[in-house]
Formats: sequence, C-alpha cells, structure tokens
Amino acid sequence: MRWILFITLTGLLSWSCKKDMTSTTPVQEHVDTATAEVKFDGSFMNGPFGSVSGSVKIYEDSGSYQVALADMTISNGPDLHVYLSKEEQPLHFIDLGKLKSTSGNQVYPVANAPDFSQYKYVLIHCQKFNHLFGSARVVP
Amino acid sequence: MKNIYLTFIFLLIICSLNAQKIEDVRINRYVDLAATIGESQGSLSGSYVHNWKLWKKRKWEAGFSVRWSSYFGSKTEFITAPARLARTNTTPFLIFFAGQRKESQDTLTVQRPYTNSVNLAINIGYNFNQKWSGGFNIDLVGFTFGRKSPAILTSNGETQTEPSAKPASFNLLLTGDHDLGSLNSEFFLRYHINSTWSIRAIYQFLFVEYVTQSVKQVAPDGTMVDRFRNKANTFGLGVSYHFKSIHNL
Repeated sequence: MRWILFITLTGLLSWSCKKDMTSTTPVQEHVDTATAEVKFDGSFMNGPFGSVSGSVKIYEDSGSYQVALADMTISNGPDLHVYLSKEEQPLHFIDLGKLKSTSGNQVYPVANAPDFSQYKYVLIHCQKFNHLFGSARVVP
Repeated sequence: MKNIYLTFIFLLIICSLNAQKIEDVRINRYVDLAATIGESQGSLSGSYVHNWKLWKKRKWEAGFSVRWSSYFGSKTEFITAPARLARTNTTPFLIFFAGQRKESQDTLTVQRPYTNSVNLAINIGYNFNQKWSGGFNIDLVGFTFGRKSPAILTSNGETQTEPSAKPASFNLLLTGDHDLGSLNSEFFLRYHINSTWSIRAIYQFLFVEYVTQSVKQVAPDGTMVDRFRNKANTFGLGVSYHFKSIHNL
C-alpha cells in the first residue's frame, strides 16, 4: 500500500514538473520573405538563469509584425515565454506566447504595432519564476 | 499512613467526579479536515468546531470555530479588490447584488500563489435526522501568511511584472468586496457514519488577497491600488471526528 502511494505521488510530482517544460522537438518555421521586410535584428546572449544562443529578426508585412527566432538553442526550463520588452529585465513587456521549442527556427506574430523604439528587447523568460534565460537587443 | 489516607481521598474525588459526568447532547464538538479543488487552484483546511444545539428539538445548531485554510494555485487571476472600484454599489449587504465595475478592474496574475490563513469563524447548521445534516460557515477575522510570488499586472492593455506579490496579512469580514484579506466560507452536507465520524460534501467560496509591492494599478480616480482579490469557487470533501461532550451535573 505504501509503495502504491509512493509511486503515485512520485508520478504526480514528475508529471506536474514536466508539463511546464518546453518541447525539445526542433521547430522549423520561416517568414515569407517575398512580402515581409526585416525592420530590426539582434543576437541573443545568456541571461542570469539560462543559456540562449541564436538570432532574432523582426519583420513587417503590410503593417503587421512578426518576431522570427533563428538557429535557437535554449536551455530548458519551466514556463518559458517569448517577450518583447522595454527593459532587459522585463518590467513592461508584451507576451508573445509560450516558447514553442528549445531549438530551431520559430515565428511569433505581434499583436498591434508596438513602438519598437521603446520595446527594444526580445527575451526568453521563465514567467512562473520571473527568471531571465536570455535577451537580444534589437536595432534597425 | 498519611499517604494511604491521601490516596484514598484522591480516588474518592476522581470516582465522584466521574459519577457526576454525563454526555452532553446539547454540544457538538469536532475537528474537521477538508480538501477542495477548482480550476488551477485548490485548498486544504482544518478546523476545530464548537456548536451549541438550539431550542427544544435541537435540530438547529450554531457556534464558533477556529480554522486554518491553506490555498494554492497556478497562474491564478486576482482582480482589483477595493469595493469602490469593484462594484457599482458599495452599501454594506446591498453590495452582494451590485454590478461589477469592469472598467476599473485590472488583473494581477499571480504565478504561484500559496497562502495559509488562521481565522475565527461562525457556523450554523441543521440536523435533518440522525444521519444527515447540513450547514454553513464563514470566517470572521484572522491573519494570513504565505509565499511571495512573481505576478503580472495587466492594466489598460499593458503588462507589467510584479517581482514579488505577497499575501495580505490581515483578514476581516465586512460583507462582499468590502472584505479584507483571505476568508473561507462553506456550504456543506454531512453524513454521520457513526457517533464519532462523519463525512462532508463541500461547496467552498474562498476569498484570497495578494498585495503588490513594486507596481500599482492607477485607478480611474487617480488613486494607486495594490490590493487584488481572487474568488475561488471550489468543491471538495471533508471528514470530521466528533468528541463526546461531557457535562458536569
């Protein structure tokens, strides 16, 4: 009986930890460069709580923007999100959604048209624990 | 000889005290453990209850309890707490029927809320028969401690990070959105397995309050708001151990 309880609790704990982790299956998404134009770009550097490498480009297509992450390699963590942020340690930010994968090329649409002179950083951020994994300063 | 005499007197007193005690059916005392679960949140609670059975038929009972409530959740939304910003009418008791002031409510998404509250509560119950009873209880006043958590304040379409929101520490029942802090209330139906044990089916309505430290909501009237409330509707089960109440004649 004690073993059943132990295995059940261990299983539940393991499941609750894993469900927040990001997929490690590489994603291959690309922006249609025939119509979209690169407006800003930058390279990722490690944050205090993780390692992130890769580059970022912000495309504009008929007034709408997309953030494209390329050749990404990200250390895994719980509840990782992609932010557009005014600061390197996010205080004012726009959440572009959960990180799709810890590797590959990924595209995230941006709602509305933020002022990129203020939102100067693209971040990989652990939302649940407020831990910065990596940041990229984007410039025209 | 003196020791034997004293021992005899002592035993005599104990025996006479026991002989004068009978079970008091006018009092219902018990300890209770309960667990409830809702969407992305849940609670555990433990309480000691002392109820008096009322009137001749003793169908009704009422009393006090001390309750510890532990609340936990994940990415739980807390909304602007002050009544003047949350409701269209703030008259005590009438506030229950007042509409929501959506235009002045912002949302604080607390990433990992966890609070422990210790409150004095009141109870009222009705015994349908020997096996079934029902009741209601609500916290009155107490204190809360718990875990600080990162949070995200969504205000006027903009999102800001609150690095360390903390549970409001003082709890006070003032009716509806006037309430302060974390307060638990339950409607329940009880089944008595025997004279000692009973189980409960519970509908719980739990107020939990978090306070921001760095970022504040700027209310339409220009005031700064740091109190945000979650109203958790959860369902669960409880188990109670009933004491035999001894009454001195």
